[in-house]
Amino acid sequence: MSELKPIFNALRRSKVGAILLLLQIAITTAIVSNSTFIIKEKIAYLDQPTGYAEQDIFSFEVMSFGKDTNFKLQAELDEQALRQIPGVVDAVMIDSVPLSGSGSSSTFRLRPTGEKSKGEQANVFQGDEHVLNTFGVKVLEGRNFYESEVMVTDNYDQYPNIALITKALADSLFPDGDALGKSIYRGDFPVKIIGITDMMKGPWLSSERKDRSVITPFVLARKLTQFMVRTEPGRRAEVMQQIEPLMLQLDGKRVVENIKGLEQVKDGFVAPDKLTMRMLLVMVVVLTLITALGIFGLTMFNINKRTKQVGTRRALGARKSHIINYFLVESVMICIGGLVLGAVLAILLGQQLMQHYSIAKLPLLYVGFTALGVLLISVCSVIGPAQRAANISPSVATRTI
Amino acid sequence: MLTMNKINKIYQTDMVQTHALRDFDLQVNEGEFIAVTGPSGSGKTTFLNIAGMLEPFSSGQYLLDGVDVGRLNDNQRADLRNQKIGYIFQGFNLIPDLNLFENIEVPLRYRGIKAAERKRRVEQRLEQVGLASRAKHLPQQLSGGQQQRVAIARALAGEPRFLLADEPTGNLDSLMARQVMELLEQINREGATIVMVTHDPELARRAPRNIQVVDGQLADFTLYQGNPAAAVGA
Amino acid sequence: MLFHYLDLSWRSFKRTPMVSVLMVLAIAIGIGVTMTSLSVYYMMSKDPIPSKSKQLHHVQLQTMNDGNTYWSKDDVPFQVTYQDAMNLLNAPLPYERTAMYKSGFSVHLDNDQIKPFKEPTRLTTKDIFQMFDLQFLYGGAWTQQQQDDIAPVVVISKRINDKLFNGENSVGQSLYLDDMRVQVVGIIEDWDMSVKFYDLNNGSFQPSEGIFIPITMGPANEIITWGNTNGWKNESDRTFSDLLVSESLWLQFWVELENAQEKADFEQFLMNYMIQQQSLGRFNREKLTANVFNVMELMEYRGVVKEDNKIMVTLSFMFLAVCVANILSLLLAKFLRRAPEVGVRRALGASKWQVFYQHLVEVSLLGLFGGLLGIVIAQLGLWGVRASNGSYNAIANMDLNMLLAAPTIAIVACIIAGLYPAWLVCRTTPAVYLKTQ
Repeated sequence: MSELKPIFNALRRSKVGAILLLLQIAITTAIVSNSTFIIKEKIAYLDQPTGYAEQDIFSFEVMSFGKDTNFKLQAELDEQALRQIPGVVDAVMIDSVPLSGSGSSSTFRLRPTGEKSKGEQANVFQGDEHVLNTFGVKVLEGRNFYESEVMVTDNYDQYPNIALITKALADSLFPDGDALGKSIYRGDFPVKIIGITDMMKGPWLSSERKDRSVITPFVLARKLTQFMVRTEPGRRAEVMQQIEPLMLQLDGKRVVENIKGLEQVKDGFVAPDKLTMRMLLVMVVVLTLITALGIFGLTMFNINKRTKQVGTRRALGARKSHIINYFLVESVMICIGGLVLGAVLAILLGQQLMQHYSIAKLPLLYVGFTALGVLLISVCSVIGPAQRAANISPSVATRTI
Repeated sequence: MLTMNKINKIYQTDMVQTHALRDFDLQVNEGEFIAVTGPSGSGKTTFLNIAGMLEPFSSGQYLLDGVDVGRLNDNQRADLRNQKIGYIFQGFNLIPDLNLFENIEVPLRYRGIKAAERKRRVEQRLEQVGLASRAKHLPQQLSGGQQQRVAIARALAGEPRFLLADEPTGNLDSLMARQVMELLEQINREGATIVMVTHDPELARRAPRNIQVVDGQLADFTLYQGNPAAAVGA
Repeated sequence: MLFHYLDLSWRSFKRTPMVSVLMVLAIAIGIGVTMTSLSVYYMMSKDPIPSKSKQLHHVQLQTMNDGNTYWSKDDVPFQVTYQDAMNLLNAPLPYERTAMYKSGFSVHLDNDQIKPFKEPTRLTTKDIFQMFDLQFLYGGAWTQQQQDDIAPVVVISKRINDKLFNGENSVGQSLYLDDMRVQVVGIIEDWDMSVKFYDLNNGSFQPSEGIFIPITMGPANEIITWGNTNGWKNESDRTFSDLLVSESLWLQFWVELENAQEKADFEQFLMNYMIQQQSLGRFNREKLTANVFNVMELMEYRGVVKEDNKIMVTLSFMFLAVCVANILSLLLAKFLRRAPEVGVRRALGASKWQVFYQHLVEVSLLGLFGGLLGIVIAQLGLWGVRASNGSYNAIANMDLNMLLAAPTIAIVACIIAGLYPAWLVCRTTPAVYLKTQ
């Protein structure tokens, strides 16, 4: 490229336009690379596997207000009725719904209180032997609860001393893989691990303990309870419609609310993240458009300003391709300048974001790809105007205006 | 050197059709210095543009050094312009962002000449027009006469055999105009063929051959060569 | 002269409609994006109760024994225990106070006309209404006597009153909370606010409760909290009476302090209280800490404005900067093409300053148009925000301040973009352009 030097010199002499374009490209690179990284992180968060067949599962709340309801009996009746609906695989009364952002957690340790030992925070689910089947989660080691082990009660006077735990919790408390059959302690209270389950996310997807859960065979029958139901694939909508009438038919003195598919439940919890992702996405797209428009506009401006010059060059023997190359090289030069500055800005911005917010370090790959993309866009937005410039007739050189 | 046979040029706009050149015939021989005169709007500039292949003609035949220009594509015309023709504009048309050296270098770059050779030629031309010391200056730092000398140096850099000048002194005062004219005469003596459009009768008189364009057609004054007074009388 | 310049600006706008529209679009999009995220940010961080935010103070006590941690930034639990709430409520202090927690019921009239519905309910003291400036439409708060006697009384919001009683004055009427029959003593205006500052424990942007009952009904009817309960001590919490004497944290406590002196006195009182409690075996720790934050301090402390929103605002302003750079280049093109005309003006006696001023008026006009169009785009954006996240319904809106901010920011941005081009044209020497034409 023998043209580089004079193009660069010419650029140096008409700074403002070039600097503006350069700045624009730099800021765009900084924003887009950081935004796409955040977007990618958000998508990874939103799309993470949960362990559930979300499309086939739904949950709902029941709140009773009858004076004389026998909650324990009602719980059994409700569960049985639900399991008999055609299309239902399994149903369970449960104290908290996964992915919902509402539930309970406790610390489980290897030794009782007072003795120093390793402990982990874990989510606690309480329900009967149908929990796992309703979740659609497999037991990897050991076994599920037997029906006889399940405690159905309306108070906390007694609590079961066996539990299922997720593999993530087992691995973290027992790195040697010998969790099955061991006891862990909630306070002073020992719980024996009878089974280890496959992945099942807890109520809080954003929490670091999302993979660590404990299921206890405990049904607390109270006036406010929740149910979860898994249906055969494709039959969920039909089953969901029957829920309210059925539950009210079983006992009229209650309110049945929040009948929601599990993915809707999850959507409610991740809504702010989804929102951020969408806003960033819109911003990246619009910003890219604006920058492309800016490059286009500035090149047009440059060309209009240099119509005569282009004509003169043509008169002096420049081919059309020389003219196109000239403007392409010029904009690529500005662009590369902008990208270098932009990469620095992107990394600085990434560092600032990392420092002030809980955002991971911006991988350089994102800067690289963004730079490549911006370069491509700027070349694309220059081609049109450059072609127009090439079509300037050499005879404009002899016109006096 | 240059032969035009029945060249027609018609400008077409939505409303009007303008016949800029009608059956224009001209023969220019190697080494000639021709002044083209004529009232404004007569077609002088159109003629020069067509001669310089800056714009296409509507019909007729134009041979430049034996090459049929009408049969060339855009790239071939560009290359031919670059190799055979030097163009001197009324408004100088120096590229404002480039310094003198770079300006003169432009046609050489399009010809793909190596840097060292370019440097040699540019310096030689700058020397010739007496501006060697100002190679790094930008055009706007020069006077009009100096700018036109740079433009001439640029036109000569490619060592063209054919020099087209469009009112080369139009924007200059008379002293500078005379200097530019002397430069052109010197170049002509060195062997280049020159066609110069001007409306300055005094300048035209200094050219060995005068032609006049009236209403898109040619009135040739070759016969009066050596008798400028007659040309003026016509 | 301003009107003359406005007229000139409008003509200039019409003369190059394409470029002008592009510039207006660029600023409008920039403003639209910026105002969308800024409005959300602003609504999140704005004072939810300007008349009282300096007086109302939220109380936190560091009850945990040494060696325990909590997820607040200073390890102090967000909520208080029942025993502390009651002790502080009953202490002989001259300040208005209230303790509260959230629960909920099936609400019905024990008839077939109104379908029972679930409604969150706040258990609190009678002073809440006055402290938090809640306006009564009918009736009023329950009395201290009723509160002490655990009378089954209720204050409902207009929304609930509309639903149950068609908006009529229902004071004296009865309704059912689960199987509890309660009598309406007052109806308040709906408690609408951008941030649920008085109880930030279950989401900052949740709607406020529509039903209020005396907190004394809680222990009497074993009404469990629907909010968070945090325990740190290994103790029995199996029954409701266990919970009442435990170290479990599940209530919010607010006190109204008029000035710094009162605040200092109250903090001193808290210190003495904790020392006194230490003698009862609680607060086993070296350093005693209590947080007494006013509303804005509390919102800052609890991080009401989410990180994501701060990032969005930062990025939006960078986005706006790109738009400004864009406009700057378009303005350069536009103004420089007009240099000859400016040459004429200068020759006719316009001063540099007048030329500069004329061009700034022109860019301000662009900014105004862009700002107005930007509001439309921002409304679109906010609509998208609301559609994407229902809990932002009260947040994703522009109030008057934001509506005014949009054109202001737009005009300032345009003026920034216009300064350099305007300076360039006004530098035009009259002669240069007159000669060559």
